[in-house]
Amino acid sequence: MLHEFSYVSPSSMDELLTFLEESGERSTVFSGGTDLFVTIRSGLSRPDFVVDLKGVKELGLLTFDPAEGLSIGACVTVNQLIEDTDVLRHYSVLRDAGSELATFQLRNRATVVGNVVTASPCGDMSSPLLCLGARVKLASAGGEREMPLGEFITGVKRTQIAPNEIVRAITVPIDHLDAVGGYKKLKRIKGHDLGVVAVAMITANDVSRFAISSAAPTPVLLPDFPANVEVAEVQKAAQEAISPISDVRCTKEYRSFMVDVFIRRLMEAA
Amino acid sequence: MREITLTINGESYTREVHEHRTLLHFLRDDLGLTGTKEGCGAGECGACTIIMNGAAVNSCLVLAAEANGSVLETIEGAAKDGTLSALQSAFHEHHAVQCGFCTPGMVMSATDLLRRNPNPSRDEIIDGIEGNFCRCTGYEQIIEAILAASKEGKSHA
Ligand SMILES: Cc1cc2nc3c(=O)[nH]c(=O)nc-3n(C[C@H](O)[C@H](O)[C@H](O)COP(=O)(O)OP(=O)(O)OC[C@H]3O[C@@H](n4cnc5c(N)ncnc54)[C@H](O)[C@@H]3O)c2cc1C
Ligand code: FES
Ligand code: FES
Repeated sequence: MLHEFSYVSPSSMDELLTFLEESGERSTVFSGGTDLFVTIRSGLSRPDFVVDLKGVKELGLLTFDPAEGLSIGACVTVNQLIEDTDVLRHYSVLRDAGSELATFQLRNRATVVGNVVTASPCGDMSSPLLCLGARVKLASAGGEREMPLGEFITGVKRTQIAPNEIVRAITVPIDHLDAVGGYKKLKRIKGHDLGVVAVAMITANDVSRFAISSAAPTPVLLPDFPANVEVAEVQKAAQEAISPISDVRCTKEYRSFMVDVFIRRLMEAA
Repeated sequence: MREITLTINGESYTREVHEHRTLLHFLRDDLGLTGTKEGCGAGECGACTIIMNGAAVNSCLVLAAEANGSVLETIEGAAKDGTLSALQSAFHEHHAVQCGFCTPGMVMSATDLLRRNPNPSRDEIIDGIEGNFCRCTGYEQIIEAILAASKEGKSHA
């Protein structure tokens, strides 16, 4: 059972942003609801208004332009992303990570932007997006702003977003177009599970990049390496950058160990 | 409260719903369509799987209000005029049902899978039902049933 709230479904950006401006902290926006309705159900969130973003058509757009790159609108689902031929061709690491997220049914609803805004340390989309140099486009009644994804996520489930603000889209530049790489995620079971630890890697234009999830309060992006870097050097940098904890899902030692294993496997496969 | 109109298994319904009502509770409690089950209520088990506008979803994480204007398919629409669908018959023949609690969601996921991929491999079937838990069968009979239904190549609608 969910507590009593009002459902609001604006049909234009103006209507949406005006409503958020007026209702402030009493509103929570959502798209897929796969995170929000779980937190509402468990009593962790009690908004008076739940505001559906899906009625605003422009938020549903997924576009690719060879000069501009990829733009992932707020309501683009994970399945839409991973089935997109441009994503597959030019940003395959997003497909690799997206297909590890939850289950098929959930991916039909769960959005890429919702995953990033949730800012869970074990979220699957942030580390590949960090590798690709993604940027976050925010909008409120007061105007728009934009920032690198690395600055947007500030802590466990914390971001720079203001109560009257939404993420319109996440954009991915063309700097690492057609990068090779992959995403390795450790789970407790073979089926769907939140990540125990995960590593994303891309290599393009003689540069290799790695980002690690579930091993620190936020996803960790390592400094760039030349593409011919030794495995041990990346592993050393990774161990210095992460600060894993022990929890119900595994110990910090196992997390550290698997980060090294995944780095090696990704580099051997590339 | 707000008024919603939607199509379920080919029939149109117009109802007043509480805005905080999930689609699952709307189907079960307001319309009495209790074929769709509630296991976890939180997206984990897949017992509540239905097909909404052509896509399998967990109805426990959708609001009834969001479904205004939608076309839904639930397990109640699978059999036509008292005759089981090919997939349901295959579940029957391959002993894919024990307690039956997972079955409605499982059949809806498998229906969706066979529409997207009429000839799935064993591994594709396993992936296709990853969002549906079964505590009884050990899955083997369910996989066999879906394989058999796909081989028959009959309509899974
Ligand atoms: C059973 C289960 C398994 C899961 N498995 C995984 C997994 O394997 N990996 C993983 O990473 N995640 C997993 N998740 C978490 C979740 O499904 C994802 O994080 C999903 O991508 C969230 O997207 P959504 O559109 O459903 O978010 P919503 O629930 O709609 O929103 C989530 C949060 O973000 C805010 N928000 C959403 N969109 C915007 C926006 N445009 N602007 C501002 N704020 C916004 C909402 O206010 C809310 O607080 C799982 C969830 C469940 C229930
Ligand atoms: S009841 Fe919806 S997934 Fe379990
Ligand atoms: S038959 Fe009992 S849960 Fe599947």
